[in-house]
Amino acid sequence: MLRMIKTFTQNDLVRYIYKETTAEENAEIELAMLFDEKLTDEFAELESVVESLDLAQKSPSERLVDTILSYSKSYHLHSVD
Amino acid sequence: MRKYAISDSQLMSQYTNGNEEAFATLVDRHKKKIYTTIYLIVKDQYLAEDLMQEVFVKVVNTVKTGRYNEEGKFLPWVTRIAHNLAIDNFRKAKRYPTVVMEDGSSVFNTLEFSEDSIESKRIKEDTHALLRDLIKELPDAQREVLMMRHYMQMSFQEIADATGVSINTALGRMRYALINLRKKMDKKNVAYDKNLYPK
Repeated sequence: MLRMIKTFTQNDLVRYIYKETTAEENAEIELAMLFDEKLTDEFAELESVVESLDLAQKSPSERLVDTILSYSKSYHLHSVD
Repeated sequence: MRKYAISDSQLMSQYTNGNEEAFATLVDRHKKKIYTTIYLIVKDQYLAEDLMQEVFVKVVNTVKTGRYNEEGKFLPWVTRIAHNLAIDNFRKAKRYPTVVMEDGSSVFNTLEFSEDSIESKRIKEDTHALLRDLIKELPDAQREVLMMRHYMQMSFQEIADATGVSINTALGRMRYALINLRKKMDKKNVAYDKNLYPK
């Protein structure tokens, strides 16, 4: 018997990209993408933007990081209990 | 989302037992996400640094006084502190009296404009900064969901609960945010090559 391929929406793809789908849904989405070129294209497009968001993160200065770590290390020296 | 050899909760457990190296690892692991969360709200790098310092003073104080709740996840907890501080700051800034120029415009608009034009020269050379600018241009509801999901790592259900909408609306807003960003990136010819910009 032929297995029915479920239809997925772009909202489902967003959940899939952010790992909020179940293992069963993952398998179904991956199967659907094998047969649905449009779905695959939509996935690639959304995923590329998500990857860009990670790349576009901004770093604080090293000076700030040092200040934070020093604050923690010397906490008991400057804390008033 | 990356998997690390030592999880955040293991590192936090070590930090609560006094291991400062564990804290340094956590800060290094998440500093960009936390800083970007703040920066995208306040849109000023110096203010973002001040607020990030304030965030970590709260984090350190909470841990060192034994008030850290191990049930919560580290990054969502810290980014929520960051988000709240940044929003508070934003609201306070909005309450400042506005000085109106002769033409009726706010003096702050003029200042902002001149700062932007200096800043814009640098931004043009910085593709990453350009994308952050595109995020700032998104409609509020879309930007909010994007920040909550991508940078604060809240689930779509948590976002739906926090913003009083259905999970489908939250998902739809995220989808539109991503599609809009893609269109804006195409329009501005923002192209990311993973080989050029390794993580």
